[in-house]
Amino acid sequence: MALFVLRRLMLTGLMLFGLVLITFVVSNVAPSDPAALAAGPDATRDMVETIRKEYGLDRPLPEQFVHYVGGLLTGDLGRSIVTTRSVMEDLGRYFPATLELVLLSMTFGVLVGVPLGMLSAVLKNRAPDHATRFVAVSLVALPAFWFGILLQLLFSVQLEWLPTSGRLDIATPPPPFVTGMLLVDSVLAGQWATFADALRHAVLPALVLSFPCLASILRVNRAEMIEVMAADYVTAARAHGISRLRVVCVLALRNAMLPTLAIIGLRWGWMLGSTVLVETVFDWPGIGLYAVSSAIAGDFKPVMGVTLLIGVNFMIINLIVDLLYGVLDPRLRATS
Amino acid sequence: MQGPIIGRRGAIAAGLGAAGAFAAGSPARAFERDGNRKIFVFAGGQPVPVLDPHVRYDWSTRLIQQSVYDALAKYVNDPPQIVPWLAERWESNPAQTVWTFHLVRNAKFHNGDPVDAEAVRYSFERGLRLNKGVAWMLKDVLAPEAIKAVDAHTVQFTLTRAMPSFITYVPLWFIVNPKQVQANVANNDYGEGWLTRNEAGSGPFKVRRFEPQSVIQLDAVADYWKGWPQGDQRRLSGFIYRIVREPAARRAMLQRGEVDMITEVPADDFELLKNARGIKPEDHKGFTTFAITMNTTKGPTADLNVRKAIAHAMDYDALIQIHNGAATLLDSPFPDAIPGHVAVPGIPRRNLEKAREFLAKSAHPNGGFELEYVHVQGLEDPRRIGLALLNSLQPLNIKVNIVAQPWPTMVARGSKAETAPDMVSVYVTPVCTDPDVIAGKYHTRAHGQFWGMHHLTDAQIDGWVDAARVETDEAKRNALYADVQKRVVDLQPEIFGMLANRRWLMRDYLRGFQYCPLRLTGEFDLYPMWVDAA
Amino acid sequence: MSLALRRASFAERHAASLRQLRFFAWSFGRSPSSMLGLAIVLGFLLVAAFGPWIAPYPLDAEGAMNLGNRLKPPAAAHWFGTDEMGNDLFSRVVLATRTSLWVGLTIVGMATVIGVPLGIAAGYFGGVARAVIMRVTDVFLSVPGIVLALAIVAALGPGILNGIIALSIVWWPGYVRLVEAKALALRNEPFVEAARAVGASNLRILAVHILPNCTSPIIVKASMDMGLAILAAASLGFIGLGAKPPAPEWGAMISVARTYMPNWWWYAVFPGLAIYLTVLGFNLFGDGLRDILDPKSNRG
Repeated sequence: MALFVLRRLMLTGLMLFGLVLITFVVSNVAPSDPAALAAGPDATRDMVETIRKEYGLDRPLPEQFVHYVGGLLTGDLGRSIVTTRSVMEDLGRYFPATLELVLLSMTFGVLVGVPLGMLSAVLKNRAPDHATRFVAVSLVALPAFWFGILLQLLFSVQLEWLPTSGRLDIATPPPPFVTGMLLVDSVLAGQWATFADALRHAVLPALVLSFPCLASILRVNRAEMIEVMAADYVTAARAHGISRLRVVCVLALRNAMLPTLAIIGLRWGWMLGSTVLVETVFDWPGIGLYAVSSAIAGDFKPVMGVTLLIGVNFMIINLIVDLLYGVLDPRLRATS
Repeated sequence: MQGPIIGRRGAIAAGLGAAGAFAAGSPARAFERDGNRKIFVFAGGQPVPVLDPHVRYDWSTRLIQQSVYDALAKYVNDPPQIVPWLAERWESNPAQTVWTFHLVRNAKFHNGDPVDAEAVRYSFERGLRLNKGVAWMLKDVLAPEAIKAVDAHTVQFTLTRAMPSFITYVPLWFIVNPKQVQANVANNDYGEGWLTRNEAGSGPFKVRRFEPQSVIQLDAVADYWKGWPQGDQRRLSGFIYRIVREPAARRAMLQRGEVDMITEVPADDFELLKNARGIKPEDHKGFTTFAITMNTTKGPTADLNVRKAIAHAMDYDALIQIHNGAATLLDSPFPDAIPGHVAVPGIPRRNLEKAREFLAKSAHPNGGFELEYVHVQGLEDPRRIGLALLNSLQPLNIKVNIVAQPWPTMVARGSKAETAPDMVSVYVTPVCTDPDVIAGKYHTRAHGQFWGMHHLTDAQIDGWVDAARVETDEAKRNALYADVQKRVVDLQPEIFGMLANRRWLMRDYLRGFQYCPLRLTGEFDLYPMWVDAA
Repeated sequence: MSLALRRASFAERHAASLRQLRFFAWSFGRSPSSMLGLAIVLGFLLVAAFGPWIAPYPLDAEGAMNLGNRLKPPAAAHWFGTDEMGNDLFSRVVLATRTSLWVGLTIVGMATVIGVPLGIAAGYFGGVARAVIMRVTDVFLSVPGIVLALAIVAALGPGILNGIIALSIVWWPGYVRLVEAKALALRNEPFVEAARAVGASNLRILAVHILPNCTSPIIVKASMDMGLAILAAASLGFIGLGAKPPAPEWGAMISVARTYMPNWWWYAVFPGLAIYLTVLGFNLFGDGLRDILDPKSNRG
C-alpha cells in the first residue's frame, strides 16, 4: 500500500512537471509584453523596462522557466501583473470561493442524482425513466453560460428572489476568515443571517455548475442499479419475502457508493474547470473568474497558477478516490 | 448586523433568519444608511488593484486615489480649471523653470500629521524614483534632487528646461505621508508593497475595506481639513465601490436600487433608462479621442494615398450611430478641450468619389488587398467600429481582418514598425490640459508607445512639437500647435474618429455630481456629492 | 466452391453483417430518444449544408450593417429579430451552423487522428512506449480542457481556427485512454496471437485485427464528442475568444447578447437554443449508438 502511494506520488510529481512545461510553453507562444500592462498606457519605454526587470521578464525564456520551476518548489507561483500580488496569495483568496461552489454543486448532484438514478432504474423503460434519462442528457447539453444567464434573469431580475451576482450583499459584512468558504465560516461564527445571505448568492451558480455532474451520477446509478436488481442475490432476497423497496434502498445505496465516488473523482477537476464559465456569468470571485480575466488581459502567470492548482487537485482527488476504492472494495485491494 | 452599516436588507435578513431570507427580495432599496448619514453605493466594471498613487492610475483607481489623497492643486469643472488645494498659491520665474508652491497651513493627514513641505518633496521624489505610473510626466524635466522644501510651507521645483505646462501635471501627483510610508518600507521599495493596499493620505475619505476585485469601501473624514462643500449636515458617511463586471448586472442593480450610480453603460441601456422613473442621466462630451492608427511604414498603408482613400471611405456616421448619437466626430487630432485646439478644415469625411480618386493614385488603384484591424480583446465598441470599417472599405475592394488581441500582445507588436498591425484602434485620454500630451502622439518619440503605432516620422512635426513644449508665449505656442494639427491631418497617420460621451446613470436623489473632462472615463469627483433623501 | 462464392451476391456474402446492421437499425429505431437524436442531427446537417439558401439575408453574416434596423424584435421579416448591428439573427444563427459543424468535425477528427494511433501503439506494444504515451496523456487529462484551451486561445488570439487548435490539443487524450484499454485487451486475444504466430506483421495485425475491433467505442465517443466539442467552442466564444467578427458563431453571439438581456432577449435566446438543440441531438444520437454498439460501457 505504502509503495503504491509512493509510486503514485512520484508519478504525480512527474506529471506536474509536464503540466508546468505545457502551461509555460502555452503562455509564451505569442509575442507579448506583459510589463506594458503593469506600466500603464502612458509609460515610457524605460518605465516599462523597470517593470520588466522587477517581474524578471527581461531574462531569456529558458532562464525564466528554470526560475519559475525553482519558485514552484518553494511555493512561489510568480506574480500577477494585473493584481500585482503573488499568484499564490491570489489563489489563497479565490480558491475557497471556488471550492465552496464546487462542494455545494457536488452535494446537490449526489443528493438529487443518486435517488433519481435509482428511481429511473426501478421504473426502467417506463415514462418516468424516459423522462429522467432525457433530462440527464439535456443537462449535459445545456450551455452552462447561457442557461446561467437565463436563470439569473428569471430569479434575480424578473422575480427578484435571488441576488444577481457576487458572494455576499454589500450590507453583509463577511464572517471572520477561517476557511474562506463563507458558508462554513458563517456557521463557525454562528452568523446565521450571513449564512443565509451567502447561500442565496450561491444557489444559482451551484445549481448551474452541478448539472453535468448530476447527469453523470444519475446515469451511473441507474446502470448500477439495473445490474444489481438483476443479480441473483436480489432475486433471492425478494424470494425470501423482503420487500422490493427495502432491497432497493439497502442494496442500491451500498452499491451506488463506489461508482458515485468514481464520478466525483473524475468530475472534480472538470468541475473546477467549468467554474471558468459559471463564475464569469455570476461574477463569483473564484479561480475561474481569476483565470478568465487574467487570460483576457494577457497576464499569464495567474492562468498558469490556476491550471496547476486544478491539475494538482485532480491528481490528489484521484489518489484519494483510488485509496478509498481500495478500502470500500476489498476485491480491488487484493488485486493491486 | 455585525458592522455599523446596517442596510434595510441586512436588518430584514437578520430578523427573518435563514429560511426567511430566501424569500426576502426587497426591491428599490436605496443608498445604505449610517444613522442620519448616507453611504453612497456606486458600481462599475473595473477593479482597483493598486491604491498607490504613484504607481498606477486608470479611471477606477484614480476615483479612489482622488478621494483618499490630495494634491497641490485639483482639476474641477467643465471647461477644466486648476484650483488651489494643498497649495494655496504658486508662482514661477519668468523663464518658467522654477516653480514655487505655498502650502495651506491647516492640512493634515488621516493620522493627524500635518501636510508639510517635506511631505510634498518626498511624494514627488518617490514618484520619480519609483519610475512607474505618474513618473513619465515629469521625469525628463525634474530631478529628485531639484525639489526643495524651502520652509515648512514652501516647496520649490527647479526644472531642467522651461515648462509652461508644469502646473497642468501637478494635480495628478498626490501627496503621501512620508512618516507612514517610511515606517513600512521593505527592500528599499519606497513603501510600494505597503501602499498597494494601504493609504497614507490627507483626502476627504479614508479606506475602510479594500477588496481589490470586488468591494472598496471608504469612510468620510469627518473633520476634513478643507471642510465639506455640501455642508457637514449633508456630507456622506461613506462610499462603496462595487465591482460588477457585467453591464446587464449593473443596470439591474441600479433599477433595483441596490446601487445609486453606475457607469460604463452600453448605449442602448442608456437610452432605455435615462428617462426611467427615479433615474437621471449625466451625459457629457468626452475627452478621450478614438482613432484608427495606420502603419505608415509598411504594407499598403505606407502609401499616403491609400491612407487618404481609407479615411475618405470611412463611414463616420456609423461611429456616431454605434454610440446611439452620443459621440462627437473629431475635427482635429486634438480634442476640443485641449488648449490650442483648432478645427482643421478639410478633415476627411465620407466621400467615396474622393476615396476612389486617392486610391487610383496609389500603387493599388483597384484595391484587392486585405488589412488587419487590431483592437483590444474584450472591448465591444472597437469591435463594432471594426465592422463599420469593414463595411466602409468594401466599395474600395479592400478587405478587413478584424483581430482582437490582449493589450500586452498588441503593444508588443506595435512597438516595432515591422510588426505593427496595418490598423489599430486607439483610445487616448489626455491626462492633463498640456497640448504636448496629445501633440507628442505624432512626434518621433512616440514610436514604441501604443499611440505611436503609426511610426510616423516627420521632421516638421518633430520641430514644431519640440519648440511648442518650451515656448512660454501662449500665442506663439498655439500657432505652433495649429501647424501641428494641420500637418497631422495632411499626413493622415490615422483615421480621426470621435469623442464618445462620458455617461453615468444615477438615482434621482443623488446630488453634487460635477463633470470635469480631465477625469478619466468613468471617474468622477466624490467629494462634493451627497444624497438628498429622508 | 470458390467460384460459387465469387458469384454470390453482395447480400449473400455479407449476410451476417447485414443481419447485424438490420438488428442495429431495429433496436436503434425502438428507442424514441435515439430517433429524436438522429432527427436533430440530420436537421443540423441539412441546415449546415443548405444554410446559404435557407438564410433570408446571407450577407448579414459577412459584415453587412444596417444600423437603422438595430435590435428589432422577432417579426415576419426577421424571425429571430435583429442584433445590435441591424443584422438578421435568423440568418446568422442558420449560417453559424456551418461553423459549428466544421468546428465539431475538425476537433473530433484531429483528436481521433492523434489519439487513436497513440492509443493503439500504447496498448499493443506496451513497455516504454506505453509508459511514455500514457503519462503524457495523463498530464493532459489532469487539466480540464476548457482551462488549457482558454490559455491557448488567449495566447494565440481569438478566432475559430485558434479555438480548434486549442480544443484539438486538449481533446485527443480521451481517445488514447479509450483505445489503449481496448487494444490492451485485444493484444492477448487468441485470434491476435494466432495472427502473430503465422507471422503477420505488426502493422497488418494493427490494421486488420486491432483497429476494426476498436471502432465501435470510437464511433460512439466521436458522436458524443461532436456535441461536446461544439459546446466547448461555444464556451470559448462566450468568454470572448470565439470567431472573429463578422463570422457568425453561437457562443460569440451570446457573449455580445449578454449585455442586451433581458430587454432584447431574442438576441441571446436563439443562439443558445441552437447550441442546446445541437448538443442534445448529438448526445442522444451517441447515447443510442452506445446502447446498441457498446452496451456494456453504459457508464457516466
